[in-house]
Amino acid sequence: MRDIAVVSFAQSPCVAANRRDDMAGFLLPVIRDAVQQAGIDRDQIDFFASGSHDFFEGRTFAYIESLDAVGAWPPISESHVEMDAAWAFHEAWAWLQLGQGDIALVYGIGRGSLPRDLDQVLPAQLDPYYLAPLRPHRHALAGLQARALLDAGRTSEQQLAEVVSRSLAAAVANPAAQKSGAFSVAELMAAPYVASPLREHDVAPCGDAAAVVVLAAGDTARRLADRPAWVRAIDHRMDTHYPGSRDLTRAESARIAGARAAELAGFAGYDVDVAELHVQYSHQEMILADALGLTGALINLSGGPLAGNPMTATGLIRIGEAAAQILDGRAGRTLAHATNGPALQQNLVCLMSTDPA
Amino acid sequence: MSAEPGPPLPQPITSVKSPFRMDYTYVAGAGRSVFLRGLAERKLLARRCPGCSQVYLPPPEFCSRCLTELEAPFELDGRGTIATFCVVSFPFPGQTIEAPYVVAHIHHHGADTRLMHLIGDVAPDEVRIGMEVEPVWVGEDQLTTSMTSIRHYRPTGVAIGSESTRA
Amino acid sequence: MSTQLAVIGVGQSKQAKRREVTIGAMVREAVAAAMADAELEFSDIDAVVLSKTPDLFDGVMNPELYLADAMGAVGLPVTRVFTGGSVGGHAAIYAAHLVEAGLARRVLVVAYSKESEGNFTWALSRGLPFSAQLGAGAGGHFAPVIREYIRRSAAPEHIGWQVAVNHRLNATRNPYAHVQRPDITVEEVRDSPMLWDPIRFLESCPSSDGSCAVVVTSEEYAGRTERPPAWIHGMAWRTETGHFAGRDEVNPRAGQACAAEAYRQAGIDAPLEQVDVAELYIPYSWYEPIWLENIGLAEPGAGWALVDQGRTAYGGDMPVNPSGGVLSGNPTGATGLLRFAEAALQVRGLAGEHQVDGARRAVGHAMGGASQFHALWVVGSTRR
Repeated sequence: MRDIAVVSFAQSPCVAANRRDDMAGFLLPVIRDAVQQAGIDRDQIDFFASGSHDFFEGRTFAYIESLDAVGAWPPISESHVEMDAAWAFHEAWAWLQLGQGDIALVYGIGRGSLPRDLDQVLPAQLDPYYLAPLRPHRHALAGLQARALLDAGRTSEQQLAEVVSRSLAAAVANPAAQKSGAFSVAELMAAPYVASPLREHDVAPCGDAAAVVVLAAGDTARRLADRPAWVRAIDHRMDTHYPGSRDLTRAESARIAGARAAELAGFAGYDVDVAELHVQYSHQEMILADALGLTGALINLSGGPLAGNPMTATGLIRIGEAAAQILDGRAGRTLAHATNGPALQQNLVCLMSTDPA
Repeated sequence: MSAEPGPPLPQPITSVKSPFRMDYTYVAGAGRSVFLRGLAERKLLARRCPGCSQVYLPPPEFCSRCLTELEAPFELDGRGTIATFCVVSFPFPGQTIEAPYVVAHIHHHGADTRLMHLIGDVAPDEVRIGMEVEPVWVGEDQLTTSMTSIRHYRPTGVAIGSESTRA
Repeated sequence: MSTQLAVIGVGQSKQAKRREVTIGAMVREAVAAAMADAELEFSDIDAVVLSKTPDLFDGVMNPELYLADAMGAVGLPVTRVFTGGSVGGHAAIYAAHLVEAGLARRVLVVAYSKESEGNFTWALSRGLPFSAQLGAGAGGHFAPVIREYIRRSAAPEHIGWQVAVNHRLNATRNPYAHVQRPDITVEEVRDSPMLWDPIRFLESCPSSDGSCAVVVTSEEYAGRTERPPAWIHGMAWRTETGHFAGRDEVNPRAGQACAAEAYRQAGIDAPLEQVDVAELYIPYSWYEPIWLENIGLAEPGAGWALVDQGRTAYGGDMPVNPSGGVLSGNPTGATGLLRFAEAALQVRGLAGEHQVDGARRAVGHAMGGASQFHALWVVGSTRR
């Protein structure tokens, strides 16, 4: 395996709705920021990978517009996943393993504000014959999962409020956070339910933001960053689709991804200082912490998705935040997690370290 | 093989209706907003890239070659030549114009990009590459921040000859 | 490429309007066929790459979630690539990268579209303030490009008709092809309704349901069955921005660069002589000469002459789309992968009735967007 590291990370602030910029206008300043931090020119980048989704933009081939901010001329080597950009990060990492180039740029664009009502859109990701016609409210599946977790005695509504209180307090220090502040547990628990046992603050607030990560190999990475965040392993796994045929209180696919990543990295979830988890709902922190064996890690120091959730960029931001902990010298080993689909159906785990091996 | 017939197969379901309705906000962006505002005033606003000197019509916010913000907008007179075109000759669902009609790439005088629009006031079989055209704007009451402010382009009556569109 | 890579399994469904199966069942047809060809169990697969054109086409968002079970992907890494029509090619190349990088031993590539379940026209022509309500559809985009090609090359108009006939006759030798017109003639194409002048009805691709699957692996796991593998000699993808001043869509530079890189890896310096058969992404008949020139199988302006001389017909020295190609079946999400898969079948000698005699080296090609996304691989019957 080649040694590959994150050398820079940038994101635009998470906002409920950006009505000023088109996709390219929204992305360009973030690309500039990440490229400047790495001290490189665009034409030094050997490969580009991105993640975004037409269903959030409401237009077929919407992602093509983002290429205007990449400046794909002369022609570039490029790929796109219609998933969270964390999967594009995986693709870029795999591409760098080939040895055909040394620098890759990954971007994610979240434009969750464009659909008038996400409940019109998100049921389309369910089985089109059995589940989609039921048009479940997007929080309903999460509510089923949270309720199952409560009934299993693995959490309480108080603990959910504690997760939210801690996340939003941490987000005060994050200039990119959409939501932040000091909220007491009692205050949070007094709020009404949106999908019992979940309250509005238990839901990651969907909005708009773009995120960019620059990856580099070996000595190039050492040249571009003082403390490169070496990617020691990435793995991702898929679970079965039907919520009724899996144990919603467990994230088996996250567990497998975590275990496989640990084999490759030589260290595991219980060894990391900091973890950034792609929780779409507060209760998912408990499920993921169990699956990944996060016994000693500080979780979501950025505030996490409960403080800002630009869908399809949210997972890449987790990787960026976990890498930034190392780039800034605040942590030695970090874990980033990303998810795709309802109720944690698909999960990705990335382990990073100050040491390349 | 048993001679006894089993229970009859259920009648297969070959269609399930599941209509989605999804409403979206369209964000034009800063660059396009300038252009769309111009259309509502019968103006075609172009912008030049300070890096490569190419003139964009319609202009985005920045040049996708140089990644540089474009210069201040300026107005073009609207005339241009047909770079290439096709004749849409058949009806299909959702069509708003009666076939046959001409869709063309129009190369405006003073611009380096091509704009796609309809060609009217001429028989489709008389349209030629290189023909000079000008915009036909909708009435005052229909002007809006949209390409629909131009009803179509029509020949000016001046043939410019075949023009290369190669880079 | 440091490692020798190979295609060891290919499967596809019948292309048609498939009302008798669900999306999952249709995808499973191709997956099961590819796995049977490779003589593998699902436990032998390390990762799955799904290729799909816009979800809006058939109304299922993130279909990898629903299809996890049908693809045998539960417990595996699954990635869904999306780069417009070239996506099948991008997916196959990404799968090969995963093997080459040592991240997987065998990767299953899956592709499908089931457009009969969605509203295609709606998905492609949503009205926006920035584009006039042209109602032009996909052909309305490509027809002006074709007109410009004809003007530049001064090609006679029967070239488009001849390509349409060649591909439809080829399809009669491919049981999976959607369009079956054994009696088609140049006159019939010429007299078919004009859709987007200069594109006639019989010069256009259909809308099909269909699926395709391919298994990619490394040398270590290839050659374990009686059916020979297809060896990957070169592969590349290239993208260019869609609308900047001076872009040439008739001969896009990204397509040239993509082919040049794949040929370089394959050690090809005279493509027309060294490639035996090509499966190209030709949704409208005129794109045969356009792509022949773009990917270096003909000099600029000379592609149409290869058609005119019968060299690209079945039995010619540079047969194009012996499967019938996109003009004979177009499940858009799978169309690109089908080109890559058909190229592999040819060099494996497994293309059945549409096998090109002595095919030792083949090109599979896919294109997407406004000719912005290009993917190409060269496969051969022997190791690279």
